[in-house]
Amino acid sequence: MRTDWKKIGIKQLAALISEKLRERGIDAILVGGACVSIYTKNRYLSFDLDFVTHATLKKVATALADIGFKRESSRHFIRSGCPFFIEFVAPPAAIGNEPVRDKVRLKTKMGTVVMLTPTDSVKDRLAAYYHWNDPQALEQALMVAKAQKINLRDVKRWSEKEGHTEKYREFLNRLRAKS
Amino acid sequence: MLEGLFGNIIIEKIFFMLYVYGEGYPLGLAKTFGEPVNRIQQQLRRLENAGIVVSRLVGRVRIYNFNPRYPLLSQLKALVAKAYEFLPEKEKETYYRKRTRPRRAGKPL
Repeated sequence: MRTDWKKIGIKQLAALISEKLRERGIDAILVGGACVSIYTKNRYLSFDLDFVTHATLKKVATALADIGFKRESSRHFIRSGCPFFIEFVAPPAAIGNEPVRDKVRLKTKMGTVVMLTPTDSVKDRLAAYYHWNDPQALEQALMVAKAQKINLRDVKRWSEKEGHTEKYREFLNRLRAKS
Repeated sequence: MLEGLFGNIIIEKIFFMLYVYGEGYPLGLAKTFGEPVNRIQQQLRRLENAGIVVSRLVGRVRIYNFNPRYPLLSQLKALVAKAYEFLPEKEKETYYRKRTRPRRAGKPL
């Protein structure tokens, strides 16, 4: 199947990359804004696909070269004609102080994407809001929380552990106000 | 003290600086320690790639902090704090007790 790189969607690209990595025996998990895009059906559109893997970047580069991606800087990969860029974030996959335990296996026509659960995606965005006061990250957390079923009790527990009970309350108020 | 663990002395100095002041920028670190700025930048980039520090641009200056989302941050800080206790007083005085409170623009001293 020929890939139209200019029109490829983020979910398709994530699946294509995941499969290419898997062919080479590399396990990777999709994190960050790309999960928000997928969970909100592109209400928020990220052009940045962040993966976490314990494989070496040399191995990753070899796998991605098969589909035309070149290493742009130490951890970034780009492909001519493709609007997205791929980053391999330093491991481990973590949400604040906690390792990522649960993963979603999203099946698509192009393959399977291993990614954060909706609850962890919300926590991942909230972490950016909690630690850097990033308002966009709060909006993204709200978008996922409204579009998907999430475990609010777990988000609350984690927020308290991170020391951000006040900001969690803001998140919760916003979530309840508009839903 | 942590040089053996982290592989080079610059990393140790960066960690002490971030531990004491909370943030730092390459030229400031280079001037403080009398090291070439590119050596400092290289190590900061290395730490940033590993997710241990993060940076942001303030005007034209890139400011670095410990990454609050680094999962081993509390353990790393505890290690740096312990190592800092063992630093000679003279070294603490020279490098890690600089004025950080504000100074009004135009004030002669």
